[in-house]
Amino acid sequence: MTHRGAVVGAILVGLLLVIALLGPHLAGHDPIARDIDRGLSAMGAPLGPSVDALLGTDHLGRDVWARLISGAGTSLWIAGLATLLALVIGLAVGLSAGYAGGWVDGVLMRGVDLVLSFPFLLLAILLAALLREAGLASSTAPVILTLAAVGWTTMARVIRGKAMTIARAEHVTAARALGASPLRIIVRHILPNVAGIVVVIALLGLAQALLAEAALSFLGLGPPPPAASWGRMLFEGRAYYRTSPHLVVAPGIAILVAVVAFNLLGEGLRDLLDPKERR
Amino acid sequence: MRALALAALLAACNAPSSGPRFRAAGGEPRAGGTLRIAFPGAVSSLDPTIAYDELSFYVLHHLFDTLVDYAPGSFDPIPRLAERWEISDDGRTLRFWLRPGLTFADGKPIAAAHFKYSLERARTTPDSPFGPMLADVVGISAPSDRELVIALGAPNTAFLYVLAMPFATPQREDHVMAAGDNLRRMPLATGPYELGSWDEGQHIVLHEREGYFDPTRNRIGAIDVRENVPRDSQFLMLEAGELDTMMSPTPPDLLWVTSSAAWQPYVHRRSLLTTFGSRFDVTVKPFDDVRVRQALNYALDKSAIVKLLTGTATPAHGILVPGMLGFDDKLAPYPHDPAKAKALLAAAGYPDGFATTYVTTDDADASTLAQSLQADFAEVGVRVTIQQMSFATFATAIGKHGTPFAFVSWLADYPDPSNFLDTRFHSKSISEEGSLNASFYSNPALDALLDSARAERDPAQRAELYRRAERIVHDDAPWLWGYHSIATEVSQPYLKGFDQHPVWLRDFTTAWLDLDVDGERVRR
Repeated sequence: MTHRGAVVGAILVGLLLVIALLGPHLAGHDPIARDIDRGLSAMGAPLGPSVDALLGTDHLGRDVWARLISGAGTSLWIAGLATLLALVIGLAVGLSAGYAGGWVDGVLMRGVDLVLSFPFLLLAILLAALLREAGLASSTAPVILTLAAVGWTTMARVIRGKAMTIARAEHVTAARALGASPLRIIVRHILPNVAGIVVVIALLGLAQALLAEAALSFLGLGPPPPAASWGRMLFEGRAYYRTSPHLVVAPGIAILVAVVAFNLLGEGLRDLLDPKERR
Repeated sequence: MRALALAALLAACNAPSSGPRFRAAGGEPRAGGTLRIAFPGAVSSLDPTIAYDELSFYVLHHLFDTLVDYAPGSFDPIPRLAERWEISDDGRTLRFWLRPGLTFADGKPIAAAHFKYSLERARTTPDSPFGPMLADVVGISAPSDRELVIALGAPNTAFLYVLAMPFATPQREDHVMAAGDNLRRMPLATGPYELGSWDEGQHIVLHEREGYFDPTRNRIGAIDVRENVPRDSQFLMLEAGELDTMMSPTPPDLLWVTSSAAWQPYVHRRSLLTTFGSRFDVTVKPFDDVRVRQALNYALDKSAIVKLLTGTATPAHGILVPGMLGFDDKLAPYPHDPAKAKALLAAAGYPDGFATTYVTTDDADASTLAQSLQADFAEVGVRVTIQQMSFATFATAIGKHGTPFAFVSWLADYPDPSNFLDTRFHSKSISEEGSLNASFYSNPALDALLDSARAERDPAQRAELYRRAERIVHDDAPWLWGYHSIATEVSQPYLKGFDQHPVWLRDFTTAWLDLDVDGERVRR
């Protein structure tokens, strides 16, 4: 069962990556160029799906399929970079806390608790708004930094728990007795043992980041227009849901599929990598 | 998971909202009921001498009557508080006789002297925007309580329209003095409704006036106005049956109601007294060359603008609005013809086009127009840089030299061609600062034509003169002709007799609510 899930997840994730990487070549249309002449009805309404525009056009006559593909790139890039950043922070904090224990652990974990005590989305909105104010509004940096800033905490917690058990394991005690430095112990003896769980939480974190990115974009705090992102497409299309439902259905399904794919792959890998949980 | 929930929500939304929840009861025209409407912004003032904005005007129109009004659905002047009037043969003396038995909302009688007072107040109050409209007036007298005589320095056929504006309603000095700074909140009504309450920025309630002389003009018992309700929220309220009518649905909502068979019959459209476009400073290169100005008129694709505004616009061939005196049906807007534009540019010595800066406001429609224009002009080699400004900065900038190419809009005060052509293209409207003739366009032939049209009494002859005048500005193209906007309104099926008035737009004095015998709305 889980095997099959992981395989389906892997295939979907692979497909998403291919689409994101080959984006411009698959689109057939420019995702940003407005086409008022051919992309809108005489009344100025978005067009429904047709041979020329597979998923129809949006309110500015832009091709929805092209925007969806371009949005895959944007969304995966943002979510991926944010997860990587969160992972680096999470690893540093989690490994130090888990290895050192004592007051270092206490201080670091209270820091994690502090960040976690804020409702996730509220904190993200606050950070995104502040970073935009700071003059980064014209780039994707605010979204990436925001997602990383709220995403590292769960990673730190999980890694710290795992690191703590391993730090008390016999081979680590042996290494310490032989005079290995703390850094060497962390890198050579603890890190390889948490690598499995790191991959899993990274994938699950990626799914979370994708959703969060869509939420922020929906609230107008995502990558600035005219760049396409799935959350923004939902936001721009939502008012047209009755006359042109394809404007919300397309990005909605894309978000759903991507999140499910990363979740399936992450959970499948967790079961594979963790023999104790394998049935 | 959130995405799933969204999909479910979507399916839920799609099903029931097929049309209006209430229907007309199908009765005879009746009195009573409360009309519930909303404004997207706030009403600024209810002092007719001061208020000069769209939303305030909708309220003022129901509170204040004037000597002259417009017939329902037309630009034709009809007597309102006046019983009749006479204009002397030289067109310089206007004599009005008032209806008998007119009263203010407090029951005191209305006399001719009260009209004299309000016109003088409009001229002497520092914050009054209406002084310039009375520039032709050289004398006002009230020979008796029911007789008013206005003397003009020069004949002005459009002056009757000026007297139809709310500031020309009779006002009483003792009320103005007693109200002091509170006058903006204490209107002494002369029209079919009076102010019930006003919670500023939130809620205005108007009640029908007891003893008003024409009970067919306030059949709706009360008008309940919510202020500061965004247009998308207004539409949701309309669908839920919480509003009886709303103006200007957002583009997606407009597309929905026009494509829905159930709503479609209740969508009203009316051309506004507005013209949008861009103006050239015709004293500056390259816009001093008429071929360049014409070329750019050919380069602009007006059908794209109409699409972007979801059909709430009609392409303009000049400044006059469809349906008004002097509007020429036979004159077509410049067609979108990039080849012709390029040829004209080449003939003017710009075969490779040129670069220019386009100054506009930060308003959404202006920005739409600017981007559309930028794309169209690129096709003929004219490279446009868009510069957006706040409206105040923009208004100052285009009233003087220094911005050769800029967005322009004209919202007329009254439906007379002189308020369009004289104001924007007569050489006497040129000034160093705040120039209304923002193109600095000066054409003695046009001036002469406009001067004779202004004094002309025969409507047919007058219309012909304005058609000729408009042909001149169309060809000379001191403006890049854009579009006229169309006002839309979506109403409930039980709002009967409502017709967007071509001047007042939201005029509910002809409307009535088709409710059941208990005064309740009837579910469908």
